[in-house]
Amino acid sequence: MTATPVVELENLKVRLGRREILHGITCRLGVAGTGKAVGLLGPNGAGKSTLILTLLGFLKPSAGRARILGLDCRHSRGEARSRIGYMPENDAFIGDMTAVAFLRQMAELSGLPPEAALEKAHEVLFHVGLGEARYRELRTYSYGMKQMAKLAQAIVHGPELVVLDEPTNGLDPAARRRMLKLVGEMKTEQGMSVLICSHLLRDIEQVCDEAVIMRDGAIVHQCNLEEERRSNRRFVELEVTGDDRNLRAALPEIGAEGVPEGGGRWRIVLPAGVELEAIWGLAGRQNLLVRKLAHRRDTLEEIFLKAMGHLAHTPGEHVGT
Amino acid sequence: MAVYKRGYRRYRGPLTGRWARFMVLPRHAWGRLYQQRLVILLTMAAMVWPVLCAGFIYLTNHAELLQGLEQEFRQFIQVDGRFFSIFMYVQAGFAVFLAALAGPGLIAPDLANNALPLYFSRPLSRWSYALARLMVLVGMLSVVTWIPGLLLFGLQVGLAGGWWFWSNWMLGAGMVAGFLLWLLVLSLVAMASSAYVKWRVVAGAVSLAFFFILSGVAEMINGVFRVTWGHMIDPAWAVNQVWCALLGVEPPDGPGAWTSALALAVLMLLLAAVIERKLRPVEVVT
Repeated sequence: MTATPVVELENLKVRLGRREILHGITCRLGVAGTGKAVGLLGPNGAGKSTLILTLLGFLKPSAGRARILGLDCRHSRGEARSRIGYMPENDAFIGDMTAVAFLRQMAELSGLPPEAALEKAHEVLFHVGLGEARYRELRTYSYGMKQMAKLAQAIVHGPELVVLDEPTNGLDPAARRRMLKLVGEMKTEQGMSVLICSHLLRDIEQVCDEAVIMRDGAIVHQCNLEEERRSNRRFVELEVTGDDRNLRAALPEIGAEGVPEGGGRWRIVLPAGVELEAIWGLAGRQNLLVRKLAHRRDTLEEIFLKAMGHLAHTPGEHVGT
Repeated sequence: MAVYKRGYRRYRGPLTGRWARFMVLPRHAWGRLYQQRLVILLTMAAMVWPVLCAGFIYLTNHAELLQGLEQEFRQFIQVDGRFFSIFMYVQAGFAVFLAALAGPGLIAPDLANNALPLYFSRPLSRWSYALARLMVLVGMLSVVTWIPGLLLFGLQVGLAGGWWFWSNWMLGAGMVAGFLLWLLVLSLVAMASSAYVKWRVVAGAVSLAFFFILSGVAEMINGVFRVTWGHMIDPAWAVNQVWCALLGVEPPDGPGAWTSALALAVLMLLLAAVIERKLRPVEVVT
């Protein structure tokens, strides 16, 4: 039996007026019930929000089909919606309600009995850090608090899939860290699948296991970030001071290859089984002072730039594998 | 264990049925509406007239209390179609003000706060949302219209006896049907103005002005063209014409009950279209 994907698109086309926004997208994202996060990346106008709105059943596909947790987004809309939670990008709340009353109503609308809804409303407000402010009207909340209240309403009914549209928009660094920590906990501790739409590559890189890059209404790249992270263990960034002209010739001593990027910066590919200590040793033998030595971290940025056509290839890629 | 100590856990218990989910919005809305002092005051004021009418019914059914009165006056005070039509006019007026007070608070805040995507991302369709909001108004207005009307009808049946029911049951049915028609028109007007005007106070004023303006325009048309069909655009007049037919009361000059009913149906369809157009989770600009 094949596993049910979180999102499955088959030649999905969406038209707004005369303009076609999504041009026949076909893909399978995530596996339901595994507690993984999928990131949706792309510049403005790429079709990310249109895709999310189509998955929620707000927009009707002009052709093709979209399934969420194995349920058709148009024909099984009600059932699909009872299994998902949605956090919209813009302000969305009922200003003259207290956070508890608002969350209770939202939980009841998702099918929780009134007592359970009230209990979960309190529980989730403490979870997102709004416990002390739960009896305040939502309109009195700061922007960061409203973002947390939006997240709370998305998870109050314990959905299988949570769709987050730009969850860290406008948050200060501390609030952003907290939001990403909560998203991480949602998948690891609660087993929820998460679909995040964001412009911020760092956010996607930090919490997602899979990433999809969209451009002009089409998917231009799909990658498994876990695998990328594993393979990144082989890619090393080195910065040295001293005469590094012989380093390139010396790298094969430890089975590695590398390319200089100027200013003492190097991109190095390590063979399997060789750790960073070997580079330290090599640098020492070459009388080089190591200023920076780390596994490559900006993979997603490079993947994104490549997908957008701003980068011909990943630096160091041609010397690897 | 205290909620704040135990942390968040996903809900995995049983879910409620479709009807219970549908009733969530009306339940919460009624709860909030009856927290408003003005709504309670107006509802209580609307109960004065039914109480007076109940006294009138008691009086007409106790001949010994009317001994000293003239025969002409004794014939005048009877519980008939005219009695119920007067009762309905007064209660309909209260219903207009209650709808203007409560109606705008139902949809306008959801639109102003962009809350519709939150509702529609749950198992709640646009029509269920609109019906739930309609139910809030119809339910609230029922308390001051057909429910006291039916109680008065029951009181008259109880005091006059079964023979009165068999010869006048059409009055009770006509009153309930007439009130429901009026409540539907009022609720749709309040919802449409609430959907179009996001500012609650203005939406209330618009839903009140709607009746006065259309009534004025209808009179202008009739006066300028020396016709009576101008009344068809006046919903209050059209509803009155239908009520007269339902209660067997002499109707005013102008288009008949069926024509008025047709005009009301067209108006309600237009209002429903306005509501349908505005109640969307996303605004698509093409």
